[in-house]
Amino acid sequence: MEYLGLTLALFGAALASLLAGIGSAVGIGIAGESAAGVMTEDPDKFGSCLILQALPGTQGIYGLLIMFFALNKLGLLGGGEAVLVTWNQGLQILASCMPVAFVGWYSAIWQGKTSAASIQMIAKKPEAMGKAIILPAMVETYAVLALLSSILMLMGVQLG
Amino acid sequence: MGVAELRKAELYYHKSVRDEVAKVLQESGVCQVVSASAPDAASVRVADWGEKLALCDEQVTHIRYLFRALGSFYTDPVSSLDRMLGERPILSMADMARTAAATDLGKISARVKDMETALGETRVASSQHKVNKDLLIRLKDFPYSLSVVGDGTRALKGVVGTLRQDQLDSLNTDMKPLAKETELFVCKGDDDAKASKTKTVWCVFMYSPVVEQQVLDMAVHAGMSLIEVPAHITGMVADELKILDAEIAKCDKKEAEILESLKKIAYETIPVAQKLSDYWNNMTERARAMLSSDTTESTLITRFWIPTESLPEFKKKIEAVSPDIALFDRAPIEGETPPTLMKNIDVVRPFEILTGLYSPPPYGETDPTPLLAPFFFAFFGICLGDAGYAIVMMAAMWILFRKYKRIPKTVKDFIMIFAYGAVATLIYGVLTGSFFGDFIDAFFFMAPIRAVKNAIMIMDPMKDPMLVLGFSLVFGLVHLMFGLLIGAYDHFRHGNYVDAIGDKISWFLFIVGLFLFGVGAAGALPEVLFEVSKVMSVVGALLVFWYAGREKKNIFGKIISGLLALYGATSYLGDILSYSRLLALGFGSAVIGMIINLLGGMASGIPAIGWLVAITVIVGGHMFGLIINVLGSFVHPLRLQYVEFFGKFYTGGGLAFKPLSFSSEYVDIAK
Repeated sequence: MEYLGLTLALFGAALASLLAGIGSAVGIGIAGESAAGVMTEDPDKFGSCLILQALPGTQGIYGLLIMFFALNKLGLLGGGEAVLVTWNQGLQILASCMPVAFVGWYSAIWQGKTSAASIQMIAKKPEAMGKAIILPAMVETYAVLALLSSILMLMGVQLG
Repeated sequence: MGVAELRKAELYYHKSVRDEVAKVLQESGVCQVVSASAPDAASVRVADWGEKLALCDEQVTHIRYLFRALGSFYTDPVSSLDRMLGERPILSMADMARTAAATDLGKISARVKDMETALGETRVASSQHKVNKDLLIRLKDFPYSLSVVGDGTRALKGVVGTLRQDQLDSLNTDMKPLAKETELFVCKGDDDAKASKTKTVWCVFMYSPVVEQQVLDMAVHAGMSLIEVPAHITGMVADELKILDAEIAKCDKKEAEILESLKKIAYETIPVAQKLSDYWNNMTERARAMLSSDTTESTLITRFWIPTESLPEFKKKIEAVSPDIALFDRAPIEGETPPTLMKNIDVVRPFEILTGLYSPPPYGETDPTPLLAPFFFAFFGICLGDAGYAIVMMAAMWILFRKYKRIPKTVKDFIMIFAYGAVATLIYGVLTGSFFGDFIDAFFFMAPIRAVKNAIMIMDPMKDPMLVLGFSLVFGLVHLMFGLLIGAYDHFRHGNYVDAIGDKISWFLFIVGLFLFGVGAAGALPEVLFEVSKVMSVVGALLVFWYAGREKKNIFGKIISGLLALYGATSYLGDILSYSRLLALGFGSAVIGMIINLLGGMASGIPAIGWLVAITVIVGGHMFGLIINVLGSFVHPLRLQYVEFFGKFYTGGGLAFKPLSFSSEYVDIAK
């Protein structure tokens, strides 16, 4: 049972990068389908489409970021000694990873849908690019807040 | 502040000088031509310009066709990026007019169209020959002339068909009674076809015309599908194959020739067509704008909006055209909606793009550009927040500006937004000790400058995130309250004192009062200010309460509306918390940088090639981090302007001032 804490913590780190990554992959996929459709009509829109398609990608990065943050805290990076973690502390790290894991997952998918709609918008009104970027960014707000929650929670967990 | 004053001008001139007038209007680039606001029944639209417009449209159509038809044969020596950054030949409209007169675009496109048709026909013929060839290859061991299967001879006819292998025996049995009058020739085909019972075989069924009906019935019964051999193929299979091969080769040669000459035409035509594209598009714009002029017997009237400050110079230019020109101008009148020309000092001008992306201000209203510029600048810096990234951005822009000397103004303005962002990023990065993440702390060889970094650094977001969160929120509070004050100023300016106080000042007092009260309660404020904060928040709350209920008749209505309005304070809480993204995105950049350095450090442990892998990981990783973070640092501060800040005072809704001027894609039009 001595490694239970570490296992729980790793489980949290894995979920952060796993769920947020799945969300981003789905979101970017949805936006990409829309972008490909628009570009068959007008290949010149590649630049704008790519930016809009990339927007739901940040959740995956936030997840990765929290995963690294957690590994770093556990001393699993850089070849040093791993920190001894009790099962209680392991659970705390697992809990800290949850905001980015779940909010990242869902918000990326919805952001992808919004991006897809925005891509349709610039197909008809290329001059509305500014508004088209802002709409998906509204969804991302919650992923940013979740990232902040996870970071602050991880910083708050006391190991040692 | 920020929006240029416009005047409505009316220009009267004789029809003999209309071309010159149109030219001056377009060259000056300061006149937005409009139709008469109330069309006069007596005046008529200028038909001449309609004809001109039709001519220009026709030329533009030719050019579009040529681009589409020849585009795939032509590799542009100038990349579209170079072109966007101003690498374009400088030509005057007069130069291009000469080229236009010397080039018959209609003739060229007719020629290209003919060649496209010929190409299509050749391809169809070639594919028909190939189909016939496939057919003959199946019959290659057929020993007789193919005239048998066409019309046949008096004594012999034949049909070609395919048959399932397992039906072959039953057909042979059926044929026994007519053995004398028929012959079934089965083509050898591929060896593996024989292996399977279900494979089909090709055969030629020959018979005497006397038994034709019986034979055909038999064939149908056996499930033979008949295949038609084109009537003109009548020789021996081998000879016909030779003929077909020759035909195919001929088609291929012809196709190659046509493609070659299309390519030649593309290289001759497209560079010219690109220049003419700019010429004819500008002429189209000119004709379209001038079409809204009115005419009498011999006088034309053109109406347009012009910035007041451009008027004297324009007057000089237009009066030089002819002495018989009259220009009247007046201020906009009630009921007119003049377009908006934002006008800011050079430092702020690039940020007009951000306002324009949202919606320009209506004429005469406040232009938010100079108000959002400092906040956007600061927010971008906090979100990216890394001195290393800032230096890379600055270096990239320095190279760009050195390489391209003639970057168009709008593109340059857009780059300048990022240049400003880089400056803010550098400042914030230095203050927080971030240089490519924790590069300076992560690698031993950076040790000498570690002390310098630590000396300048005033805070470490990684160690003290609550401090950064705190000042992010205070920044947000300042931003929002500033927005409220601008809103109040706008209301005062229009004489809406009640709205100014009830809707803006009240909230300002309430929120600032609450904030100070909170700070004071923590004991961080002098006693006097603490007392003031109490008064402020109470007065603010009462004002909000009163304003919301002022139009309700009965006392309960007033109370409920007032309480609901006070509940709206939660939306301010939400707005302020939204600024926590400044901390989060700054963290994002720093942690991604840290991870990349960590991975680089781990990679350097690989024997022999470790240093190479480490450099690749670090350079590649930071490039990726830079791009991702710049995108985030642009989008999120922009959202804070559009949603949180603009929500307090700005709705936009103006029409952008779009003067008749030259626009170009392929050339720089010399004035």
